[in-house]
Amino acid sequence: MIIDWYTIIFQIINFMILVFLLRRFLYGPVIRAMDEREQKIVQREEDAEVKKKEAEQESQAYRRKKEELEEQEEEILEQAQTAAEKEKRELLDQARQEVDETRLRWHEAFEREKETFVSELRRRIGHQACAVARRCLQDLADARLEEMTWELFLKKLSHLPDRDRSELEKALEKSGNKLTLRTAFETTSARGEELKEILEQLVPELDGEINLATVADENLICGLELDAGGYRVAWNMDSYLEGVEEQVLKELEQKNPLEDKDSGEEGVSGDEQA
Amino acid sequence: MTINPDEIVLFQWDWFKINSTIAYTWLVIFLLTFGSWLVTRRLSSEGKLSRWQNLLEVLITGIKSQIREVSRQDPGPYLPFVGTLFIFIAVSNVLAIVPGYVPPTSSLSTTAALAICVFIAVPVFGIASQGVLNYLRQYIQPTFFMLPFNLIGELSRTLALAVRLYGNMMSGTIIVAILLTITPLIFPVIMQALGLLTGLIQAYIFAILAMVYIASASRAREEIEKKGEK
Repeated sequence: MIIDWYTIIFQIINFMILVFLLRRFLYGPVIRAMDEREQKIVQREEDAEVKKKEAEQESQAYRRKKEELEEQEEEILEQAQTAAEKEKRELLDQARQEVDETRLRWHEAFEREKETFVSELRRRIGHQACAVARRCLQDLADARLEEMTWELFLKKLSHLPDRDRSELEKALEKSGNKLTLRTAFETTSARGEELKEILEQLVPELDGEINLATVADENLICGLELDAGGYRVAWNMDSYLEGVEEQVLKELEQKNPLEDKDSGEEGVSGDEQA
Repeated sequence: MTINPDEIVLFQWDWFKINSTIAYTWLVIFLLTFGSWLVTRRLSSEGKLSRWQNLLEVLITGIKSQIREVSRQDPGPYLPFVGTLFIFIAVSNVLAIVPGYVPPTSSLSTTAALAICVFIAVPVFGIASQGVLNYLRQYIQPTFFMLPFNLIGELSRTLALAVRLYGNMMSGTIIVAILLTITPLIFPVIMQALGLLTGLIQAYIFAILAMVYIASASRAREEIEKKGEK
């Protein structure tokens, strides 16, 4: 018998057992392992994708940052250059200004020196001119001129205006009737009497008590000067000449406005003296 | 010399007997189970694979892809049955190279048992996938008069399965035996090599045919559904 039913049934059971065993020991574990591996590979790929994206984002962020930094750097450089340019220009301007100021100061000093020199020169010229005139007049002064001077002086004294007379009176009271007569010539007693008479006429309250002192003064070129304790009555060339000198200096210095003021003041005082 | 290994009884106790077919079947079962256990107790799901694990994975992946190609369905539910058919027959046949070993597949009882398994599995898978009525309905397709022919076809293909495998394997063993008496030494080696090839081809054919039968039973519903859609 080729077909043995006993063996067939046995083999069917055997085959069933084998199916069960292989399912338990072969297909199950191997398929599970393969699935796991597949899953892990997929997982790893997904992770890699995520990481790649992260890395790309990070690299982009870094690139952006780098660009920003470069921009800032450029900006800073530009600012520095601008600042340096500005500084340079300022320094140049300052230096130029300093040079200008120095030049101006030097120029002013030079001008001042020049003006000083010129004004000094002018003054000297004026003095010299007046000195020459004074010398000439001194040389010309003689007895006749003296006589004429004396008469002129007396005339002036006798014709003193009322305001001057009262002032003379006050001055005499103050000095205790002391009078000083300055003259370039010698004075005679007759002339003294003459003077006293005129004074008595001028100031009746004196009662003839007048102490007259005579002083010779060469500087008073052919002239006379009566000094009563501060109040003066005079006639001489010197006072004229002084007036002339002042006038000359004033004329000479008129070109300088700074010195005009001083000369003007001098002129006023000179007028009072005259 | 015996042609039928069923007749070689190794152990007998009353009606219970162990013939060489059963014994060698047990040997194959033991080898397969023990080998699988050895390899699969240390499976790695990542990193480097062991050589044996790689072999098993290639084998299973190959079977799965074959099932998918034939059935155009997910190979998951069919894998244990069809895969075991292939592996058992292949190992049984290949071991024929060992002297003294008689492949259990050279016994008609074994091949008949396997064919009966397929014969049972076809309706089981068919009913599981499309229900009893739908499965039974395909026997009266296209008309009711086709029922006897369908039944005859079902039986005859099962018989063909059993006899095809049995004939091939038995002939392989017998040819080697005959040739050994005529031309000893070299020539039987070539025949044995051919026998290995034939054994693998038969295993492949048996498994694929089983899959085709199962698939045709479980695919009927899809075809009906497609018709309904039209």
